[in-house]
Amino acid sequence: VNSRDPDVSPIDVALTASRLNAVAAKMSNTLFRTGRSGVLNTARDFSCCIVDSAHNLVMAADSLPIHVMSGPDLISRWIEHHHPVRRRGDAFLHNSPYEGNSHAADHTIVVPVFDDDGRHRFSVLVKAHQADCGNSQPTTYMANAVDVYNEGALIFPAVQVQRDFVDIDDVLRMCMNRLRVPEQWRGDYLAMIGAARIGERALEDLGRDVGWDHFEAAANGWLDYAERLVRSTIARLPDGLGEADTMHDPFPGVPDGIPIRASVTIRGDEIDVDLSDNPDCVPCGLNLTEATARTAALIGVFNSLGPSLPANAGSLRPINVTLRTNCVAGVPTFPHSTSVATTNVADRVTNAVQLAFSSIADGLGMAEHGAPTPGSSAVISGTDPATGEPYINQLFLTITGGAAGPHHDGWLTICHAGNAGMLQRDSVELDESRFPIIVHRQELVADTEGAGRHTGAPIAIVQYGPRRGVLRALYAIDGAVVPAHGTLGGHDGGRAAHQVLRRNGERETPTATDGVELHPGDTLITVTGGGGGYGDPTQRDRDAVRTAVDEGLISPHRARTVYGLETEQP
Amino acid sequence: MRLAVDTGGTFTDLVIGDESDLHLFKAPTVPADPSQGVFDVIGVAAEAFEMTLADLLAATTQIVHGTTIGLNAIVTGSVARTALLVTEGHRDILTLREGGRLDPFDHATEYPSPYVPRRLTFEVPERITADGEIYRSLDTGLLENVLDQIERADVEAVAVSLLWSIVNNRHERQVGDALRRRFPTLPISLSHEVNPILREYRRTSSTCIDASLKPVVSTYLDRLESRLRGCGFAGRLLIVTSQGGVRDAADAQDHPIHTLGSGPAMAPIAGRAVLAETGHTAGIVIDTGGTTFDVSVIRDGAIPRRSDAWIGATFTGHMTGFPSIDVSSIGAGGGSIAWVDEGGLLRVGPRSAGSTPGPASFGRGGLDATVTDAAVVTGLLDPTRFLGGTMTLDADAAMAAFGRVGDQLGLDPLSTATAIIALATEAMIHAVEDITVARGLDPRSAVLIAGGGAAGINAVEIARRLGCRAAILPRGGAALSAAGGLASDLVFETTKVFSGRSDSIDSTTLVELLRQLDDDAMALAGNGHSAGRFERFVEARYITQAWDIDVDIDLSPLTTDGVDHLTARFEDCHRRLFGFVDQGCPILFSSWRSRLTCAAHEQHDTPARIVGPDRGAAPVRTRPAVWPRYGVLDTVVTTPDALGSTPIAGPLLVETAYTTLAAGPDTFICHDHGNVVVTFEEVTG
Repeated sequence: VNSRDPDVSPIDVALTASRLNAVAAKMSNTLFRTGRSGVLNTARDFSCCIVDSAHNLVMAADSLPIHVMSGPDLISRWIEHHHPVRRRGDAFLHNSPYEGNSHAADHTIVVPVFDDDGRHRFSVLVKAHQADCGNSQPTTYMANAVDVYNEGALIFPAVQVQRDFVDIDDVLRMCMNRLRVPEQWRGDYLAMIGAARIGERALEDLGRDVGWDHFEAAANGWLDYAERLVRSTIARLPDGLGEADTMHDPFPGVPDGIPIRASVTIRGDEIDVDLSDNPDCVPCGLNLTEATARTAALIGVFNSLGPSLPANAGSLRPINVTLRTNCVAGVPTFPHSTSVATTNVADRVTNAVQLAFSSIADGLGMAEHGAPTPGSSAVISGTDPATGEPYINQLFLTITGGAAGPHHDGWLTICHAGNAGMLQRDSVELDESRFPIIVHRQELVADTEGAGRHTGAPIAIVQYGPRRGVLRALYAIDGAVVPAHGTLGGHDGGRAAHQVLRRNGERETPTATDGVELHPGDTLITVTGGGGGYGDPTQRDRDAVRTAVDEGLISPHRARTVYGLETEQP
Repeated sequence: MRLAVDTGGTFTDLVIGDESDLHLFKAPTVPADPSQGVFDVIGVAAEAFEMTLADLLAATTQIVHGTTIGLNAIVTGSVARTALLVTEGHRDILTLREGGRLDPFDHATEYPSPYVPRRLTFEVPERITADGEIYRSLDTGLLENVLDQIERADVEAVAVSLLWSIVNNRHERQVGDALRRRFPTLPISLSHEVNPILREYRRTSSTCIDASLKPVVSTYLDRLESRLRGCGFAGRLLIVTSQGGVRDAADAQDHPIHTLGSGPAMAPIAGRAVLAETGHTAGIVIDTGGTTFDVSVIRDGAIPRRSDAWIGATFTGHMTGFPSIDVSSIGAGGGSIAWVDEGGLLRVGPRSAGSTPGPASFGRGGLDATVTDAAVVTGLLDPTRFLGGTMTLDADAAMAAFGRVGDQLGLDPLSTATAIIALATEAMIHAVEDITVARGLDPRSAVLIAGGGAAGINAVEIARRLGCRAAILPRGGAALSAAGGLASDLVFETTKVFSGRSDSIDSTTLVELLRQLDDDAMALAGNGHSAGRFERFVEARYITQAWDIDVDIDLSPLTTDGVDHLTARFEDCHRRLFGFVDQGCPILFSSWRSRLTCAAHEQHDTPARIVGPDRGAAPVRTRPAVWPRYGVLDTVVTTPDALGSTPIAGPLLVETAYTTLAAGPDTFICHDHGNVVVTFEEVTG
């Protein structure tokens, strides 16, 4: 890994990085344009990346942080473990949460890339959230699954799906016989394989063009560069130890909620994050996987380091994350369910880490992001009586939630910490044309921002229901009990909520995880959690307060009482 | 004679075409009054022709104008104060946008403000559904209350964008009528008229942009036209539109959003003319200026469109949502600055030295090492021949600038400068690949057409790396955009949203629908334009997909073969773009379009001889230049006129009035139709 090639200059590194980035971007573009499910072709809930033969993550352009910072490295190891002999034309499908994947709903296609002498040089990975993964309930986030059997997803531990570039039908038939709306899955599978093969071909061209040894050496130089960049960034931070606690809401199986603690140590040019002081695995779908526990911590760190740092194996070297086996925010043990491992507890881990940074000094870290996953991002399913055709897909209507930082307000549509606002929102018109639903409103609510020197995002109300037929909506709403905490005097973000308004005017409050069944005329009213504030609100820029008042986002009363804005005399 | 004027950021370019020659002129753009820049550059031409301005204008039959007036108004925030009316419950469409972010860890970039502020956004009590049914009737009583609020808001324009108005425009029309009754003089834009596309954020954004531009674009065009008329111009004033055609100035005022991409749309039009003339079917057009690198593609005479272009940065600017010629732009050009980041990585751009202070070699106080400086250091540019010899570059200053960058890396100035050109080339290749992948164009089937002042530095290397058939530096390449103005046609488009699946749609209805669209387009064109050429398109996707592709269709096979024709055309396009088809999966056809193209002038061939401001041709000579993979080679420097039609082997530097084309070893260069053509395999016989 660390072999230095004296012939590799800084210029070779710059050129190689640029070309690797282009390869990853090309894969992403292909997948976005050809994916069938809305999760891929609208929300862009996927990631494309390149790892080297020593399993180092080299490049992950345009990817969702929770998918890639840790995970591709582990998956690459497990593929090699199960398939010590691989050759050109192979492709593998992997989604095992116990062997490096994020959660079962993220299918990962891995294609090893060889030089002309048949030596394995790199692998390309395409990881994409599926519209369905065969769970016992029609959702890809099954928070109430007591274990992996109850969860019921089809698990593929490094299963070969192509040999000599040809599908191994036996495996595909398993999916076609077991997943909901199988044609949609098949379309997504074709798109994923297509993207991986495009990446493979581009890497082969690159290797032939510059020479494979030179290419590998330059890729190593790129990792070393990233490491230097991160070390110099960390070295500028004050040394210190910070600790923070937060809590995931009570859910079925965890009636007291799940307390989450992170401790962060900054020492010289390195950072340690310790997640071991957290509860054991829990009897529901909220357990993290090894990949998402480590990545959630890393996101909290990167949110505190500033922009423009590449996320690859090199930049992660100075950051050590300590995980414990059989821990809800650590390495899960079989048969605990990890169905919701990319969002709920993962976000609380990221939040605890960035709160811990802020406790070291003002100017570091961030407040808490609003909690996922409200009904506006439910997995909806049903059968459209107009066509007789079944449908299942995750909605991506409005989700707000951005946390405030030391120098900025929360990003309004951060969605959740793990995807960091990278997802695209659905168009109401597109959703209404694809599914028999009607979206009545999506609007921001005044006076709900996490007040502070910098403010967290306000909450939004989203209301929708079926136009025809019965609609099933499943989601796992955190943040209704424990809000996103503010920090250093910043206030908490607005609480999440949800309610069913029946056609006859009756209102019901469903459980956080069991979902709702809606008939025409019924609607789900869901409120997204807001982000926490950072610093004392009375220190907020006065013009920013006045603008928020003008825009109807803060009432004059709140401007006066919370922000201390002197009202102008007429 | 005919004139084409392109108002750019720094210069206003003028191309005059007469029977035999193309004349190029440049004058500084006047940001405070862009029409002044137009008059200035025409004045420069009049002087060169030894005519009065009035005589020149009197002899002019047509002026084609590419303007950035609308774009600049948005960028500088000087558009009209605009109100927006939306369906109740959806007030935050413009605030919430479509999501997306470039860097997950960039918490320094602020979330963007909506194009129309929340306080000027009003909710209309009504709702129409996806199938066009009225779910909630428009409450006209409550609407009057909304109008009262608008009256108090003291706005200068109003945009109306209701959900599903593209399927049933009844409510939107009613709101429009009520607005006109109450505010007879206020400019109003309705979304189903401005841009009938699916997806409410984009359509709303287009509508607001359109409304907000009406006062400023009208004022500008009125003033320009009346000044021209006052000076004796009796010809036709045509404005280049973002759809790649031209429209009469008066039409452009009705829907000013058409003028947004006016400037960038001209280069691909010029490229299309070059393709037609050289007999190639596929082309990649690049336009490299001082700060930006624009790229577009052409296949079989068609320039693809996109409706997700941004004004400003992706995700934080404003999406126009308006179908326009697909021109991607990245911050790379002659002025792009070289720097070394904290981790010791050499970078180039996106920051540009612009024209003030400019690259180090401009000697205007700039100390930054730029791509132009790198071209001087590596010998690709002759410092004494910049801009046709009208400006002398300071080679020592360029060398010193690269000395400072190289010191940070332990490299000599020459290696550093060579690397900067290579890095800029990489960035440009990436931009070209992005658009060719998205458009399903194999670069190996295409020629690369290079325009813009800084095009010559990287164009040949980009073409070589992408495996293009040839790189072509067209005559007038340095003013490619303005040259495109002369090659533009009048284009009239009509669109109708009508959804139907391939397994149930009735082709007779479609034939009627398309005929109606043809009639509407002819009505738009008005008298005297019935002799145009019709093209018809449908936007379609597999029912489970989300993104439509643009499919060109024909009327007569639709009449005879019915829906099979549509399916076959869709599958052709899908295979070309994505490499596969999904046999048996129903196709959803959603938006139908008719385009009527009429010649804007009689003669279409552009003159072959180019007349620039050359201060006398330089002699053929040699100088040392650095080439990728070869290092320093003694290189012949020549001019297009000194080249013959028989290819000669590179390395070679071809100097033209405003740019120098660098063709390395392993290339073959010839002169053809007035263009310089570079190929990568020796053509024999």
